[in-house]
Amino acid sequence: MEFYLSALSFVILLFFLKKFAFPSILSALDEREKKIRGDIEESEKLKQGIEEIKVDLEKKLKAAHEKAETIVQLAQDEAKKLQEKTVQETEAKVKQVQRESEQEIESSKNKLLQEIRNYTAALTIASAENFLKKTMDDTDKKRLVDDSIEQVIQELEKRQRN
Amino acid sequence: MGNPLHHFEVHNVIPIHIGGLDLSISNAVIAMWVGLALIGSMFVLPAKRGLSLIPSRLQNVLEIALEFIRGMVYEFIGEEEGKKYVPFIASLFLFVLACNLIGMIPGSYTITCQIVVTGVFALGIFIMTLVIGFSKHGLHFLGILVPPGIPKVLIPLMIPIEIISMVARPVSLSVRLFANMTAGHTILAVLFGLAMSSVMIGWLPFGFTIAINGLEIAIAFIQAYIFTILTCVYIGDVINLH
Repeated sequence: MEFYLSALSFVILLFFLKKFAFPSILSALDEREKKIRGDIEESEKLKQGIEEIKVDLEKKLKAAHEKAETIVQLAQDEAKKLQEKTVQETEAKVKQVQRESEQEIESSKNKLLQEIRNYTAALTIASAENFLKKTMDDTDKKRLVDDSIEQVIQELEKRQRN
Repeated sequence: MGNPLHHFEVHNVIPIHIGGLDLSISNAVIAMWVGLALIGSMFVLPAKRGLSLIPSRLQNVLEIALEFIRGMVYEFIGEEEGKKYVPFIASLFLFVLACNLIGMIPGSYTITCQIVVTGVFALGIFIMTLVIGFSKHGLHFLGILVPPGIPKVLIPLMIPIEIISMVARPVSLSVRLFANMTAGHTILAVLFGLAMSSVMIGWLPFGFTIAINGLEIAIAFIQAYIFTILTCVYIGDVINLH
């Protein structure tokens, strides 16, 4: 008899627990499961999003690398061209300067030579004059003047004929 | 009215006597086996089948229970040292809880109502704490008998007191669990006896049995918790020395 009463008491307690305690416990367990599921799904989504961002960034990085390489190549080409142009211009300028210098040197040389010639001529004439003054008498001087006049006249006649 | 303590009597279900030793399978042994089977079916089988990342209801219960026990162990023993004691403490808690709860089923047997069972548990834990203490600290472990900060004059007085306190630990641990479980079942038996004694007012004590049954379920959890938490405290004491 006591066993049956005990069983009845236990069943009634179970009924009350099922009615009042178990639903909240089970809902708490379901809530926990739902939360874990939600957290995992959210983390999966985030992971997927991160993967997509990573792929996108890698693509962008690759494109940026390519662009940078192109820019560097273009810059190198441009620099090479500029360098060649500069070298050419410099060479042309150097040649121009060289030519001008040569011309100037030539001109100075000619001028100097002319001056030397003039000076030498003046010196020769002065020396010859002094020498003649000392060595020639009046007869020789007269004869020299006459010969010179004669020579000039011959020269003029010769030019006229030509 | 029958004897309210007859629930706690051990009966041989399958008598086995070998060489003068009584190895009979009693109702207490069967209750213990059922407790082990319950723990096994709840924990070992789902673990063998493989745990899912998104837990089912049962897995949720197991996770909550183990997280709770792990938190308790880490709190009293420390995270570093506590890790190796989690399996033992979890097994102890779940086994005591299973044994307490099995006793709630009508016609079954409450194994924790036997002082010899709780006594062996408590003695085993006491010896284990001594082994842990000596193996970890050597003879310095005896320093646990001198509380920190006491004047030197009081040391001769404190050492016997601490020894008594240490020895009282397994006694209080075993008696607390045994007495609580026995008291609850005894009250239930008395109330059932009263319910049977009078048809007219028998419903009143019977109504109380429902409430006491509910209380007993709570006590089953609380006593298992207290038994386990005190075990953690004792282990933590010998590891950390005060």
